[in-house]
Amino acid sequence: VYKLCLGYASGDQNTANEWLQETFIKVWKHRNSFKGKSTIDTWIYRIAVNVCLGDLRKSKRHIPLSENILPENTTEYDGENDISENNIKKMYHCIDQLNEQNRTLILLELENIPQVTIADTVGIAHGTLRTRLNRIRRSLLKCIKNGK
Amino acid sequence: MENDNLNKLWKTQGNDILKYSPQDVITKAKKQRNGQYLTITILSTTVIIIVIYAFSFALNRWNAFNLGLILMASSLTLRIILEFYSMYRNERHLISMDHKSYHIYLKKYYRIRLMVNYIVTPVCIVLYIVGYTLLLPTFEKYFSKVFYSYILLFGIISLFIIVAIIIYSISKEQRFLRHLNKI
Repeated sequence: VYKLCLGYASGDQNTANEWLQETFIKVWKHRNSFKGKSTIDTWIYRIAVNVCLGDLRKSKRHIPLSENILPENTTEYDGENDISENNIKKMYHCIDQLNEQNRTLILLELENIPQVTIADTVGIAHGTLRTRLNRIRRSLLKCIKNGK
Repeated sequence: MENDNLNKLWKTQGNDILKYSPQDVITKAKKQRNGQYLTITILSTTVIIIVIYAFSFALNRWNAFNLGLILMASSLTLRIILEFYSMYRNERHLISMDHKSYHIYLKKYYRIRLMVNYIVTPVCIVLYIVGYTLLLPTFEKYFSKVFYSYILLFGIISLFIIVAIIIYSISKEQRFLRHLNKI
């Protein structure tokens, strides 16, 4: 859930932490309304993506990428880490370019959430999800490679 | 193969999470809930007092002061009840809807809120000002000149502050609605 929020917050850890906490506060407050129609994972992911979507501050947000999410052990010069840092920055930039729903899909997919759960969380058919994910992955890789 | 690269890249990120224990979350949630209960209790008590006052005293001795008091209190109460009701509805939908449906709902929700902000809120403000104006002659009659001037000045300043807060929140919601329509 944290990584999902982090992706939504363009890598800003403070916002991601606030959303993470807000998600679990809602889960706790409304635990009695969980009727078991979906799995508990799906229910929590739904709340998380809706919390991220519904935050009013987002509309004027422009948060620079936090250094803390970049790969660890980068104090000494390391060519490989440098490339990785750069790619992570590019990846967040590219994820930011996606529309809201596609962003949710890819963030859940990157966290290895089962596709059935993703489809249920977002509210689209499984077949549609597979096609969309392929397209999003292709466009993300292209964006990371070309920088736009 | 290239898809694997994307997953690898995602996993190379640092994992520096601020740690919240479940107990922290539960404590905060309980505090929020208690705050809500307290607000609801205060609001219900206010409404009950207004109703009792209106039916027991004001209706028997109807004058401008009573009318002013009832107008001020009821316009504020109506606006606050509307605010809480819309927040409650939004939260019910947030926890029960999938992402796609919630996105559609949010757009509708903020469109309705804009209508409330443009129609109901100005009506409430006008009623509040009318009520306040009706109270002034009584204040002038029974209070000292200094205290009356203080009440007058304080009333005007607080009204400006309320209007500024409302304008700020309307512009924030409008910006968010535009953002929702774009994504």
